[in-house]
Amino acid sequence: MSLSKIYHRSRTQALSDITLTIGRGEIFTLLGRNGAGKTTFLRIAATQLMPSKGRISVLGHDVRDEPLQIRSKIAVVPQEGSTIGPLTPWDHVYLTLLARGMSRNQAHERSEKTIERLELTEYRNQPADSLSGGLKQRVRVAMAVATDAELIFLDEPTLGLDAVTRRRIWGVLNEIQKEGRSILLTTHYIDEAEILSNNVAIIDHGKMVLSGSPAELLRNVKERVRVDIVGSTFSEEELSKYGRVVKLAERFRVLTDDRLGRELADEALKRGSDVGLARVSLEDLFVDLIGRAEE
Amino acid sequence: MSGAKQFRAAVVIGYMLSITWLRRNLLSLVWLFATPFSLLFIITVTTGGRSFALGVIGSLLLVLSTVGTGLAGDATWYRLETKLQDFFVASPVNQLGYLLGIAFAGLFFASPALVVLLPLLVYIGLPLISLPLVLLSLAGVWLFSSAIGYLVSTFTSNLRNGWQSGLLLSVLVGILPPVFYPAEILPHNILLVTYAIPTTNAALLIRDSMGTPPTLPYWSPLIGWLLIATSLAIALAVTSRVARWRQP
Repeated sequence: MSLSKIYHRSRTQALSDITLTIGRGEIFTLLGRNGAGKTTFLRIAATQLMPSKGRISVLGHDVRDEPLQIRSKIAVVPQEGSTIGPLTPWDHVYLTLLARGMSRNQAHERSEKTIERLELTEYRNQPADSLSGGLKQRVRVAMAVATDAELIFLDEPTLGLDAVTRRRIWGVLNEIQKEGRSILLTTHYIDEAEILSNNVAIIDHGKMVLSGSPAELLRNVKERVRVDIVGSTFSEEELSKYGRVVKLAERFRVLTDDRLGRELADEALKRGSDVGLARVSLEDLFVDLIGRAEE
Repeated sequence: MSGAKQFRAAVVIGYMLSITWLRRNLLSLVWLFATPFSLLFIITVTTGGRSFALGVIGSLLLVLSTVGTGLAGDATWYRLETKLQDFFVASPVNQLGYLLGIAFAGLFFASPALVVLLPLLVYIGLPLISLPLVLLSLAGVWLFSSAIGYLVSTFTSNLRNGWQSGLLLSVLVGILPPVFYPAEILPHNILLVTYAIPTTNAALLIRDSMGTPPTLPYWSPLIGWLLIATSLAIALAVTSRVARWRQP
């Protein structure tokens, strides 16, 4: 895939020469801040939006010239949509499967399975407008997951959801992947990208900053561990002797190697500070990359 | 998907967006009954019952054109709020299947009013033998209105404008043309303009079928049918070429 997008009546380039390849049976995540261009990319790949320049091949077909061949093999969860008033979760899932051309038996079977998978059984016959935001979102995910699509596009499917619901959706996405189906996911939750994805592309201001597997991406961070220290028991100057210091809201984060990290953590405990020691994560890389770009 | 499967998809979408809704939300029926039956009441009362037949014809056409032009608002809601259009764009359902589906939803919403008005039309003088042709002209009005309602929705960038466009189109297609009043009283130039609107021709054809043929310049039942067919063909052609199924 390689493309650019300038929106109609806008001079801003929403995407600029993005090139990436998504393998079959893979969860590929586009990671970026709000407005980075993730949704634009996803909508073009899902044949909902025309590219300004460049070509994308989805499942072997060109998005610009062969949208019909693509559409029979994909499904999408659009960003920030809503459920439809008095329709129940069952209505949402079963009727959309029928509309997509499935037989009644097949639609019934897949609806049952998906509703159970997403733990919606208890609510299956309740009007959607009486459901919580998290349950409504699960219904929307169910509408796409229940299909037999080879490639599923999910645009920020866990936005605004609590930690338990997010993990439930992650579990379902992992099951989908085990069935050999591919997923293109957008998110600005870094933990989501790190846990779920085979490959991640970090996008900022419409440009791809970096891409690769989470492990490959982490090789771009030269430090191995991070030490978080809450409170004012250390000065910034003092901490800089241990490694690279990042000032966060009410704490310092020091990125360093294993030995210095352990030494700093021991010293912080001795001084009675609240301290956390962990391996560097995609979050550190993301803040580093995007922060640097901002500067 | 084949044409038959697209039609099946349209029926399912129509059922999904209307019958399932109405079953649990009977209040939705009120708005649809309110305007046409209010106009029928006012026309009947103010003419001492002499224009009751015109009132029934007008109400019938207003119901069918309103559920069609109302798609300017409904389809905007499906696109911007529920993202249902995005969901179906990325699926085997094509634009015509989707348009027909949301148009069916409007028709199913209108069905209780039709169940009252069609028998009433037969009761006041429409011969049963003419009913199939009348239904065909009504179908033309419904499809024409649905096509332009949907077309407008795809260019509408906020929901309030969608509802407003729907109301405006409803006035232009269902109230201002000579459907509630005799076309004969219109000035010549304006009359010719109203020939371009299928509701005018459908109203004239129904009057003709009921034994009160209109005496108008350049108009005959055959021309009326041709005008309905032409305006419908143009509306569908423009919609399929211009409407934004995939956003630019």
